Amino acid sequence: MSKPTDLVQGTLDMLLLKILALEPMNGFAVSQRLKQVSGDVLQMSDGSLYPALHKLEQEGWITAEWKTSVNGRRAKYYSLTRLGRRQLEKETDNWGRLSNAISRVVKLKEA
Amino acid sequence: MRPEHWLYTIPLRLRSLFRREQADQELDEELRDHVEQKAAEYAAKGMTPQEARRMALLEMGGIEKHKEECRDTRRVTWLQDLLQDLRFGLRMLRKSPGFTAVAVLTLALGIGANTAIFSIVDSLLLRPLPVKDPGQLTVLAFQQGNGPLLTPFSIADYRDIRAQTTNAFSDMLGYQVGLDGLSINGEAERVLTNYVAGNYFSMLGLKPYLGRLILPSEGQTPGADPVIVLSYSYWENRFSGDRSIIGKKVLINGQSSTVVGVAPPGFDGVWLYPFASVQVYLPLAMVGTYKAGWPSDFMVNRVLQNLEVMAALKPGVSLGQANAALAVVAHRLSAQYPKTDKSLQLSVYPERLSRPTPAASGVIIKAAGLFFALVALVLLLACVNITNILLVRGTIRAREMAIRTALGAGRSRLLRQLLTESVLLAFLGGLLGMFLGLLGSRAIASIPLHESIPFHMEFGFDWRIFFYAFPALRVSRTHITVALHESGRSIAAGKNRLRNSLVIVQVAGSLMLLIIAALFTQSLVNVQHSDLGFDPHHVVDFTMDPSELGYTESQGLGFYNSLLDRVRALPGAQSAAYNSSVPMNNQYGQDNLKIPGYQNPPGQPPPLVFYSVVSAGYFDTMRIPILQGRSFTDADTKGAAYVAIVNETFAKRFWPNQNPIGQHFAKVSGVANPLYQVVGVAKDSHLWSLTGPIDPCFYLPLAQDYAIAHIQTLQVRTSATPDVMIRDVQDEIRALAPALAVFNVETMMQSLDDLDGFMVFKIAAGFAAILGLLGLILAIVGVYGVISYSVSQRTHEIGIRVALGAQRSRILRLILSQGILIVGAGLLAGCAGAFLSARLIANFLVNVSFADPLTYFGVAAVLALIALLACYIPARRAMRVDPMVALRYE
Repeated sequence: MSKPTDLVQGTLDMLLLKILALEPMNGFAVSQRLKQVSGDVLQMSDGSLYPALHKLEQEGWITAEWKTSVNGRRAKYYSLTRLGRRQLEKETDNWGRLSNAISRVVKLKEA
Repeated sequence: MRPEHWLYTIPLRLRSLFRREQADQELDEELRDHVEQKAAEYAAKGMTPQEARRMALLEMGGIEKHKEECRDTRRVTWLQDLLQDLRFGLRMLRKSPGFTAVAVLTLALGIGANTAIFSIVDSLLLRPLPVKDPGQLTVLAFQQGNGPLLTPFSIADYRDIRAQTTNAFSDMLGYQVGLDGLSINGEAERVLTNYVAGNYFSMLGLKPYLGRLILPSEGQTPGADPVIVLSYSYWENRFSGDRSIIGKKVLINGQSSTVVGVAPPGFDGVWLYPFASVQVYLPLAMVGTYKAGWPSDFMVNRVLQNLEVMAALKPGVSLGQANAALAVVAHRLSAQYPKTDKSLQLSVYPERLSRPTPAASGVIIKAAGLFFALVALVLLLACVNITNILLVRGTIRAREMAIRTALGAGRSRLLRQLLTESVLLAFLGGLLGMFLGLLGSRAIASIPLHESIPFHMEFGFDWRIFFYAFPALRVSRTHITVALHESGRSIAAGKNRLRNSLVIVQVAGSLMLLIIAALFTQSLVNVQHSDLGFDPHHVVDFTMDPSELGYTESQGLGFYNSLLDRVRALPGAQSAAYNSSVPMNNQYGQDNLKIPGYQNPPGQPPPLVFYSVVSAGYFDTMRIPILQGRSFTDADTKGAAYVAIVNETFAKRFWPNQNPIGQHFAKVSGVANPLYQVVGVAKDSHLWSLTGPIDPCFYLPLAQDYAIAHIQTLQVRTSATPDVMIRDVQDEIRALAPALAVFNVETMMQSLDDLDGFMVFKIAAGFAAILGLLGLILAIVGVYGVISYSVSQRTHEIGIRVALGAQRSRILRLILSQGILIVGAGLLAGCAGAFLSARLIANFLVNVSFADPLTYFGVAAVLALIALLACYIPARRAMRVDPMVALRYE
C-alpha cells in the first residue's frame, strides 16, 4: 500500500464534496472512489475519513440518510446539499486560481 | 456564517446535543461497517478471513479514538460535557441516597437557619422606611440631668426646637400615639391613631392614594380641623376598599370627624417600624377634642409630654453638627423654662438605629449579633460535616478516577466533573435551604405577640442569601484534590488529624448549643412557677375604654361600677376588680414624683415611678397581701381625700426607716397634681418584667383618678371555665353598652405569655433547642463518618491482626477507643466553651446558675451516649472483617 500524499485539509474537503456530487454514497464507497479515480495516488486513511465526513455534515454541506444497501444491510448514505454545492463551486474556483498561480511560478524560465 | 447556514446547522447541533446516544450508536455502526467492507475486499483479493479482518482493523486504527474525534468535530462539546457531568453527577447522588440526603440536608439546615435570621434582622434593622429620603431621618430624644433617655416631647418644646434648628434640619415632624374608638354606623372599634403635625405627610414626601392627606395648615388651632386620614391597610380591611368613604362622617371617641383621604399603600406610620400598623391619622390640634379630660392648654403646656419627634437632616449636615445645634437650643430652653426643662440635653439618632427606641438600639444589635453568631456556628458545623463526608467519598472514588485517567480523561476533565458534582450538591442544598429559611422566617413571623396594638411582621425573601452558597462551594473543593491523588492508604496522617479535629469541633459546638438550650428551658420552667407576687391563675381579663363612646367621667365611672356589680353577681365569679395596667403588658403609667421627706440626689431629675389605677377590690382579687395599713375602700371617692397605696420597694426607697403610712407625695407632670396620702403598703410583685429587681410603684383608686385611666382591664377571678366566664361577662358588657369594643379578652396566664413575659424564654429555649438539635445531628453524623472512614482505611490492618490471632472483642475495643478519644475531647471542649459563653446569657436565666453542674453533666452524658452509639456501629463492622477479604483487597 503506498503512502498517501500530503493533502491540504481544505482541498480534501473539496475532493470529498466533489465525489459526493457525483452520486450519494456511504463512507467506504467514497474512499474507494477517491482511490480509484485518482489512480491510487490519493488515498485517505480510514481514521481520518470519518471525522472529515462528519465535519462536512456539521457544516451543513452534506447530509446523511440511513438506507438499506444492496446486500440488505443498513448503511449511512451521504449526499451533497444545496449549500454544499455552492461551497464546492467556491472551493473549485479557489483551487483553480491557486493552481494557476502555482503553475505560473513553476513554469518560469530559469536563467 | 450566513444566516440560512445557521438555520440549517442549528437543528444538527441540537440533534447532536440531545440525540447523542443515537448519534453515537450510528457512528459506531458506520465505522464497523467500513471495517467489514474493507475486510470483505481483502478477502476477495485472496486473504484469509482472519487476516483480512486484522488488516482492515489495523488500517482503521482505534475506533474509539475516531469516534471521539468525530464527536470533537461537533462543536458543542463543552455544553455536552457539562450535561454529561450533570447527568452523571445526579446518577452518582441517586446511587448513594444516604450520603446525598445527609449532605443536602446538612447544607440546607445551615443555609436555612442563616436565611431566616438574616431576613428577620434585615427587616428589623436594615429595611428603610418607605418614605422620601429615609436615610436622612433621625429621632429626637432628650435627657434631664442624669435621667434616662426619653423621647416624648411637649408640643411647645417641639415647636421651639423646630424653629431654632433650621440650620441643621430641613424639617421636623411630631406625632402623638393614641388608642381611640372609631365608630361608624353604630359599630365601634379601637384603632391605633397618630395625631400628627401638619407637615407630617409633606416632610415624608407621601402622596395620598385617595382624597388628600393632612395639610400643613391643619393642626394649628385646637379643635379646628375635624378631619381624618385612613391608612391604606385599615381602609382595605375595615371599609373593604370602598371609595365612597371619602367625605363620610365617623365618630372618634364620640366626636364627629370627616374622612378626607387614604394614605398610600405600604406606609404604616413611622412609629415602631416595622412592627406597628398605624390605622388612622388625625391632626395634632384635635387631641384636646377627642381625648376626654385633656387639658385645654395642651398646645403650650410644657409639662404634657407626648409627642414623638423626628427630624430630617439637611444634606451635608452631620450628626455631630446637628447635635451641636441642639445643644444650643437645649441650653436656651433650660434657662427659659427652668420648671419643666431643667438641665435639658437634646440628641438625635439615626432612624435606622432607633428601632424601637434610640435607647434600645444597642440591645437589638446585640441580640441580633448573638443570633447571627449561633446560626453561623451551625452553618460552620454543616460545612465541616460536608467536608468530612466528601473527603471520605473522595478517597473511596480514587480507583474510579484512576480508571478514568487510563481511558484518556484529562486532569481538567476530571476536575470539572468533580466540581460539577459539588456544585450540584451545593445547589440542591442551597435550594432546600432557601425554602427552609422561608418557612422558618414565616413561622417566626406568625408568633402571636399578644400586643394590644395591631402588629404585623413580614419577612421578605432576599436574594442576598445566595452568598451563603459560596462557603459551601469552597468547602467542597477540598475533596476534589483528595480524589485525584492516589489510593487511600497513602493519605498522610496530617489529613487524618485534620478530620478528627474537625469532628471534635463539631461535638464541642453541639454540646455548647445543647447546654445553652437546657439552661433556657430550665429558666422557662422556673419562671412559669415563680412567685410573681400575685396569683395569675384562674383570672380572665377584659380591656375596654368607655371614652371611645364619648362617655364623660361620671358616665364612665357609672358604667364601670354597674358592670362590676353585675359581674360580681355572676355564678362562678369569685372576685372582680379593675386594673389600668395588666402586669407584663407595658401599659403602666409613669410619672416624676415630688416626695416631701425624700431628698432627691443633686443633679438628678425627680424620680420616675410606675403606677397603676385600680378599683377597690383589686388587691383581694389578685391576692396581693397588704402588709401595712389598708386597701382601697368604696369610701375613697372623688370628694374624699386623695389616697394612694405604695409597694414595699417604694416605701423602703423613699422613706427608709420611717412609717410610710401617712406620708405624702405628688406627681409632677400630671394634668392635675393632688397630694396623695399613703394609706397602705402592698407586697412587692413583678409588674414590669418577670426577672430582675422590683421597681417602686404605687396604686391609685379608680374612683378618684378616672381621668388618667379611663382604659381599664376588668380582671375576674373565676372558678368556672374561662370560656363560660368570658361569654357571661361579655353578655353583661353588651347589656350595658352594646357599642363598646372589648379587646384583649384572655386569661391572665395567656397575657403573661407575651413578649415581656414567658415568650422571651420560650423563644430563647426553642431557638437554642432547635440549633442544639441541628448541631447534635451534625455532630453524630460527623462522628459516624470519621469512625466509619477509619475502619475502611484500617481494613487491611484489621485483617492482619485477626489473621495473627487477635480477638474480635479486642478489635472492637481498638476502634471504640479511637471514638471515645474524639468524643471525649469534644465534650471537654464543649463544656469549656459553654462555660465561657453561658456567662453572656446569665442575665436571662431564672433560678439556675449559668454554670449549673447538673445541667452540664446531664447534657454531656446524653451526648456522650449517642456519640458512642454512633461509634459502635462501624466498630461492629470492623469486628466482623474477614481477614481473607481484607488481605486480598489491596
